[in-house]
Amino acid sequence: MKDLVAFAGAATTGFVAHNTGRSQASLAAEACIDVLRQCGLEAADVDGICGSAPSAPAVQSMLGIPEVTWFANPAIPFVNHVAVAAAAVHAGLCDVVLAYHAAYRLPWNTLSSLRDPFRRVASGPMTPGPGPESVAGAMGYTAWASRYMYEFGVPKEHFGYVAINDRSNAALNPAAAMREPITMDDYLSARMIRWPLCLLDMDVPVDGADAFVITTAERARDMALPPVLLNAVALGMIDKNEEEQTPSLRHHGQQVVVEALKAKGDFWIEDTDLYFPYDGFTPITLNWFENAGWCAPGEAGAFIEANWDKAGARILIDGRIPVNPHGGALSEGGTQGSGHIREAVHQLQGRAGPRQVAVADRAIVTAGGFFFNAQGLTLRRDG
Amino acid sequence: MTASISDDDLVARFVGHPLDHDNADHYRGRLEHRLLLNRCGSCGRWHQPPRPVCPSCWSSDVVATPVAGTGTIHLTLFLYQGPPAEGVDYAAGPYPVVTVELDEQPGLRFTSTVIGAPNDAISIGRRVTLDWMDRGGAPMPVFRLDRVAQ
Repeated sequence: MKDLVAFAGAATTGFVAHNTGRSQASLAAEACIDVLRQCGLEAADVDGICGSAPSAPAVQSMLGIPEVTWFANPAIPFVNHVAVAAAAVHAGLCDVVLAYHAAYRLPWNTLSSLRDPFRRVASGPMTPGPGPESVAGAMGYTAWASRYMYEFGVPKEHFGYVAINDRSNAALNPAAAMREPITMDDYLSARMIRWPLCLLDMDVPVDGADAFVITTAERARDMALPPVLLNAVALGMIDKNEEEQTPSLRHHGQQVVVEALKAKGDFWIEDTDLYFPYDGFTPITLNWFENAGWCAPGEAGAFIEANWDKAGARILIDGRIPVNPHGGALSEGGTQGSGHIREAVHQLQGRAGPRQVAVADRAIVTAGGFFFNAQGLTLRRDG
Repeated sequence: MTASISDDDLVARFVGHPLDHDNADHYRGRLEHRLLLNRCGSCGRWHQPPRPVCPSCWSSDVVATPVAGTGTIHLTLFLYQGPPAEGVDYAAGPYPVVTVELDEQPGLRFTSTVIGAPNDAISIGRRVTLDWMDRGGAPMPVFRLDRVAQ
């Protein structure tokens, strides 16, 4: 499949950290219509649909896509969607997939959403759980953040660098929800949510959507925009994938992803122009730096310090490689990876506006966390 | 006696818990203040959470078996906010949650809270011992810090 499947285009509605007064479907529709028009496609050109919410059947009906021969509703993060759509295209189940992800603020993560009756209906009944004595879900990253600090004896500031980098980058991204710069003092004085993680360690719940056209490289070359080739993709997981039972920070899904991408693809960090480590929680990003091989375990904070662009208050590896130049999940908004992939596609198409990296031939996206959602892909410019 | 409690009554006692065929024995154990985790009758390995077969050898002979209840704190967090629960008052101070590595087997872990200790004493590496609390009329396994050797 290497380099035989491509992103023909990517589009976004942009993201906001408040309730838009719109449905999740409305956001998805806007992004989907935008990407199809940019690629020069009509509804009848689409024969595959892939997204989580709204469902693929709902999107087909909403957009009047006459017939599809393949569709899927994978779980997030968004590399799940890319991997299965690319495989479907490569296997010949369909030719042109419309893939989308609509981020939507819901009652479980924001109080203002809890007060919105439509959002309460959209999220379904909230059944009370047994109590807070669990490290499942979001708590898992907090629990392993404490372990990270314990094992490596590093200060909380190391997490803070990730938040500051994202916010500085978001200043140049009109699609980002949070664009006011922050300082380390802001980070250290932010409201504690679950020690050791504070409000600025956690991604921003947003309304907004991304959409993509995924097709064969051959077909993409006949469309309106430069194709971006999928060099390798991997979803990594190990047997002990429960947050509580995960063996260690040096043995979980991320290491599997890294080894798979290196084995299946043609390049790694020595030859990339952009790096997109997932940042739904700051400790995930530090661990990705270490597992990808930029530095040794526990040294991500020191690595960032050594590659800090003081003028821009951001990471610039070797003075040239930006990290999550769109602002990532912490500042563009929590998109479960779709924002990272969209920005990578735009950079490699030369369409990233004021954020455009001068030489953007290759990008690495390492999406997701540690447990059952570590995943990644490598992309390269066509030709 | 409690071991013979019906499935209906068991679900009624543990409201909100994800009870199923594979963890029912664990919850029946809680009613007797026994912390039961699955152990393989064939290869002797423990596993958690409860699975219908042994992940190590695929034997179906998995038995909910009492653990000693001693171990070492492996992960910690302190909740400044969280889901409402009886006996939990976030306004009174951050609520501790710990994952404990049990002495039975490396990597065998169980998550709960720590009672009877100030938060600044609850840290990774501390030894703990099982104790029991009550929540909503159902026993809940918790941990207490062991005294630090002088």
